[in-house]
Amino acid sequence: MPDGSFAHPQQRQFNPYTDNGGTILAIAGADFTVIAGDTRQSEGYSIQTRYAPKVFRLTDRAVLAVNGFAADGNMFVKKVKQRLEWYRHAHAKDMPLRAIARLIQTMLYAQRFFPYYVYNILGGIEEDGSGAVYSFDPVGSYEREACRAAGAAQSLVQPFLDNQIYFKNQKAAPGTSHPTHLPLSDVLSIVIDSFTSATERHIEVGDGLEIYVVVARGRSPQGIEGIRGVQELSAQPNGDRTFILRRELKKD
Amino acid sequence: MATADGGAYSYSLTVFSPSGKLVQIEHALAAVSSGTTSLGIKASNGIVIATEKKTSSILIDDTMIDKVSVICPNIGIVYSGMGPDFRVLVAKARKSAQAYWKIYGEYPPTKVLVQEIATIMQQATQSGGVRPYGVSLLVAGWDITRGPSLYQVDPSGSFWAWKASAIGKNMVNAKTFLEKRYNDDISLEDAIHTALLTLKEGFEGHMTEKTIEIGVITVPSDADLAAGKIEGTGRVKPTFRKLTEEEVRDYLAM
Amino acid sequence: MSIMEYNGGSVIAMVGKDCVAIASDLRLGNQALGISSNFQKIFQMTDRIFLGLPGLATDVTTLKETFRYRVNMYTIKEERELEPETFAHMVSSALYERRFGPYFIEPVMCGLQKTHTGEYKPFIAATDLIGCLNFAKDFVVAGTASTKLYGVAEGLWEPDLEPEDLFETCAQTLLNAVDRDAYSGWGAEVYVLTKDKVIRRTLKGRMD
Repeated sequence: MPDGSFAHPQQRQFNPYTDNGGTILAIAGADFTVIAGDTRQSEGYSIQTRYAPKVFRLTDRAVLAVNGFAADGNMFVKKVKQRLEWYRHAHAKDMPLRAIARLIQTMLYAQRFFPYYVYNILGGIEEDGSGAVYSFDPVGSYEREACRAAGAAQSLVQPFLDNQIYFKNQKAAPGTSHPTHLPLSDVLSIVIDSFTSATERHIEVGDGLEIYVVVARGRSPQGIEGIRGVQELSAQPNGDRTFILRRELKKD
Repeated sequence: MATADGGAYSYSLTVFSPSGKLVQIEHALAAVSSGTTSLGIKASNGIVIATEKKTSSILIDDTMIDKVSVICPNIGIVYSGMGPDFRVLVAKARKSAQAYWKIYGEYPPTKVLVQEIATIMQQATQSGGVRPYGVSLLVAGWDITRGPSLYQVDPSGSFWAWKASAIGKNMVNAKTFLEKRYNDDISLEDAIHTALLTLKEGFEGHMTEKTIEIGVITVPSDADLAAGKIEGTGRVKPTFRKLTEEEVRDYLAM
Repeated sequence: MSIMEYNGGSVIAMVGKDCVAIASDLRLGNQALGISSNFQKIFQMTDRIFLGLPGLATDVTTLKETFRYRVNMYTIKEERELEPETFAHMVSSALYERRFGPYFIEPVMCGLQKTHTGEYKPFIAATDLIGCLNFAKDFVVAGTASTKLYGVAEGLWEPDLEPEDLFETCAQTLLNAVDRDAYSGWGAEVYVLTKDKVIRRTLKGRMD
């Protein structure tokens, strides 16, 4: 108190984190990878913006999707991009995908005791030309997978992906086996279905959908150029090629 | 012991007489028999219930006398006997119908409501400190399972389904009249006219829209049933309604 | 800890073309510990009504008996068969009676409703633990895997599925949803109800 006597002890707390909703998803094909995310950014029941990208192109062959606390996500992407540029200056080439994955682990773990509140999914093409998806937890645990969903509607989408990508609980017809990788058109339909479903049932998912497709060098883009509204982002058509595909999602 | 009033077995507690009769119930039936005549006729496409309402003085405002009552959208009743007892039963029947609606989201079938009313009336013949209800009822209702049905409930709590019936002062004559007139494929319009003719037999005074009351059940059409619940209100279209004075006047004029 | 997670379990019901399906897992747990892989949560109430009761196991048993009693009393008293929609209201009012000390059950029901023309119309409904009715046109879910069930069902379900296709859709939805839920699984059963038969199948699923 002003007179110097002791008042009741008071506790104040500042919570530096918030959850901005949204969902991201990545699926690896044999020689391509699809990385997608919705564009709604919300806080509680308020929509802050209907267009805040969560998926970012890192190199010609790497795309990163970030979901969770948007401020951390944006800062994290910025720092990853900065490290990749330094790598380019030092080595005169882009960092390989598996190396980016390890870099992300290191960067996340560096913040072990004040983590980036972000779930990362990294997708792209490995040096052997195969499609790859790496998924991370906020402190850097990671693994390479064929598909992964994260964010607000993870619990809605992941079991659907288990069924449609991994053919879980399905038995192949006698004398046949399930494909290990699906063609691009199938993957795109599954991605779009996943997001329309999530939009239908989850309030934090919706508005817009951004789908990145990375196709390995010299491999067929499987007719993606013919799809409505596809835009190519890659500079040289003879290297790995990146495409972006945008779709509207329900806004209610 | 043997007195004109019924003797030792006639007091408030309903007690069997050695001959196996409950004289209190007989007295209640006597009250019904001295009440104004009411009748009901089941037609092929509906039911009519009707009654005469007599006032003891021309000074009474007869617009406020209600002898035909709506219990719920698919059921209506009419009585002969004691007015006050009837109103108590109407209140209980309406409560029972609403309680049923609260549980099942629909109104009770006619038979179920009749059973409820009959139970209430039976209880008054077996409980301490009460007397039986001095009324007989004609219950007209429609439901999806049994279609249109017409029941009579007596002070004892016994009930029957009828094709046509009459209760009250002139019931014997009225029933004889109905027996002559009734056939199975009578239309609702014809039934209303038969009802009026029956009431006319032994009607004291002038029959006008002020001195009779009519209620009708109209069997819903396939289109009504297909439409189901009315948009917005979530209710089904009522099947029972009372005829307005204008409608009664028109029927009397025909 | 949520009360639903005390014993675990999930149920789903779906509408098809002139048919309905209801499916549940068979796990009974005590929090993380699995107790039984043969705990039924779906009960046949009449020839044309099925009821699924995911939630607190003790209330599953109690409510199963309560509704059996109420349905029997109804059929005897009214001398007619109980319709699914009427049954849904019965369930709802029974649960709301315990508004301030509820049964920890989120019922899911399905059946074939008789129309005035004498045909049968698929019917599904679900309520929360205090009886708030949800008459969905496509599918209803409840239990510890409900979010997963919603996600998969939203992706797999389509209108007017024939009985065998409805069975497959319902089974796949349940299986894949409970595989991502630690509190549900340990086997499953599916019922498909058509106007002239009831198909019941026990499914083998992951037992982990």
